[in-house]
Amino acid sequence: MKLSPRLLIVTAAALCTALLLAPDHGWGQTPTDEKAERDRATAAAKAQNNAQAFEANARTLTVFDRQGKTVATVGPRAIYNTPVFSPDHKRLAVSKTDLDKENSDLWVFDVATGKAIQLTSSQSRESTNAPAWSPDGGHVAYVALRGGNFGIYQKASDGRGDEELLYKLPGTGTITDWSMDGKYLNFFSTDLSGGTLYALPLDAAGERKPIEVYKSPKQIQGGRFSPNDRFVAYFSNESGRNEVYVRPFDPSAGPGGPATRQWQISDQGTAGMAFWRRDGKELYYLGADRGIMSVSVSTAPAFEAGKPKVVFRPSEEIAISPGTASISRDGERFVIAVPPPRLRQLTILDRQGKVVKTVGEPGVYGQPGLSPDGTRIAATRTDPKTGNLDIWTWDIATGKGYAVTDSVWPDFSPVWSPDGKQIAFVSTREQYSGIYRKAWDGTGEEELLFRYTPGAGIGFSDWSPDGKFLTFSTGVLLMVPLSDNEKPLDRKAIEWMREEYDVFGGRFSPDMRYLAYASDEINSQSTDVYIRPFDASKPEAPGAGPVVRVTRDGARGFTWRRQDGKELYVLTRDWEIAAVDITTTPTLQAGSPKVLFKLPGPLVASSPEGVSRDGQRFVFAMPVTTTTASR
Amino acid sequence: MITRLIALGTILFVFSAWPHHNMSATFDLNNRVTLTGTLTKFDWRNPHIELFVEAKGDKDQTETWSVEGPPPVFFRDRDVSKSDIEAGLGKTITVEASRARDGSRWGLLRTLTLPNGKLVSACPQNC
Repeated sequence: MKLSPRLLIVTAAALCTALLLAPDHGWGQTPTDEKAERDRATAAAKAQNNAQAFEANARTLTVFDRQGKTVATVGPRAIYNTPVFSPDHKRLAVSKTDLDKENSDLWVFDVATGKAIQLTSSQSRESTNAPAWSPDGGHVAYVALRGGNFGIYQKASDGRGDEELLYKLPGTGTITDWSMDGKYLNFFSTDLSGGTLYALPLDAAGERKPIEVYKSPKQIQGGRFSPNDRFVAYFSNESGRNEVYVRPFDPSAGPGGPATRQWQISDQGTAGMAFWRRDGKELYYLGADRGIMSVSVSTAPAFEAGKPKVVFRPSEEIAISPGTASISRDGERFVIAVPPPRLRQLTILDRQGKVVKTVGEPGVYGQPGLSPDGTRIAATRTDPKTGNLDIWTWDIATGKGYAVTDSVWPDFSPVWSPDGKQIAFVSTREQYSGIYRKAWDGTGEEELLFRYTPGAGIGFSDWSPDGKFLTFSTGVLLMVPLSDNEKPLDRKAIEWMREEYDVFGGRFSPDMRYLAYASDEINSQSTDVYIRPFDASKPEAPGAGPVVRVTRDGARGFTWRRQDGKELYVLTRDWEIAAVDITTTPTLQAGSPKVLFKLPGPLVASSPEGVSRDGQRFVFAMPVTTTTASR
Repeated sequence: MITRLIALGTILFVFSAWPHHNMSATFDLNNRVTLTGTLTKFDWRNPHIELFVEAKGDKDQTETWSVEGPPPVFFRDRDVSKSDIEAGLGKTITVEASRARDGSRWGLLRTLTLPNGKLVSACPQNC
């Protein structure tokens, strides 16, 4: 293998780092020394995690006009959420996350100059978010976690003075609006058990008590008052999908009010947000297809609404969600906290990291994996218009794509069947996550293989080479035996490994005598790869024999797909692909990781099957610009 | 932990933790109980820890509560180890928890005060 000078430097640096960080159990080291060393390694891993998480998630506050043209970017890149224009749209209040302190605070930016003031000062592991401006722009209300309790607070928007607790929330809540007359804050609380819209009176004497505006067994979010405070707009999934609704608001009518009537505003679903224009003549929301939508409305004497129209649709490169976008009161400016580009190109690399082939069109892809015969790719694909997450496959030779799934439910974690004819995947449908299988080309009906506990997620990682076990993790590593005589809903997950630390990503060895997995046993901020014996006749625990630690400097992922089982491939913490020699006779042993090539940076590379059976080809969803530059 | 959550939400990290069940569907986050009593037993394993507390009820009767908390790694990141909990066995602790929606003596941990006075908050994850 020929390494470039850069790779040699990286490898040498990694080795030096490894030597510096590797635990030394030699003479003279006390338990205190060991703890200090562990703490240093944990701190170093956390700093690296934070730096990479920042690069992958930092957003740019970008202001658009009604034509979708960028008119300004505001402030530096950061991890922003819930940007909200001041009433005169000259300032933006936004929540900013500090990864090192593990907290978030509100900042107020001047849109024209980008200058900012930090409005709040959270302690470590506290949070501040969901800002709402007072009608005169003099104050900002927000939800903050302080001393273990969430509360609704306000503070002067110039940062002066102390924050004032307006209401101690019994649980959680999210503020979305401050009424135009200044008398109410609108907030909601919603979860799988239902949702409630509240109005918090600000001018009431004594202890403030929220008014229940609307309660539903379905989820309700994002309530906002009409400018004349007679109506409230919100979105809810009560029809089976999220739609925008309007209902009367009458705080004197008691809980729920007399408002039995509501109007549906959106007609093709919504991804959230419902904003009124200051004159009450237009409502805006985010369409299910990511379009910024507007609807002509009137609120006096009675409520009337027209047909939704598209204002503009952000480019497919821009991920947009209700928590990262909002609209100015005059309806002329739209702010989106724009994340890093998300378009990817499915790309086949050789063992030196050279691009061998690109497959299909650029898109929003993840978790790519190669079929056992190396002729096809399976990956997740996010539809740029609907946002639906589905499983697709591609023929590498022709580039032709096949939709294996096409549903509103999120489908992910594709794993090829041992014979390459089917794809197993996870689908989350309402409160249940299950593992399903379907033909690789999307034909025929899907089949449920296993359904898990309500509300529980599934980290599906492998299908055994004999086809008789699925393995997934929840921090615990579990096995699902696939016996023919059992109905899917009767199948139970068996705990293979349940410890004080996380165990993830089980991968069977090709001969099924071993299972490799990742764990944070040593360092809570970094995972390493281990191998233990697997006994198919006793799937309730690892088989007899020693555990072998494969990596010592951390790993982001790994796969054990080479047909002969003699190499295991590791994605290092520095985004390198390294090969590890594995021998199983006479005893199980793992060699030192040897770097094959380095990836350009954080990638969605989480497929358990991203390497060919001969270990010569790797598939990744590469950033489009990088791919283009490499060609 | 916050890094893990951000990573989970946006780039589908290779290794990722998953909740074992939906917290807000199982527990009412708006209905809290504070228990001061004896730590009689605990389970310190993934996907979440479990504390068993004997406390006095409304009518002075002894009640045994089970309180579910975050995974052990959450406490490890806050410098609380299994041995710290072991040292609390048979001693008085205080837990604030969100009550189970089924009305049973089962809760979701919000805060834990150990016998030595150390306070651990499980927020914002469990709030």
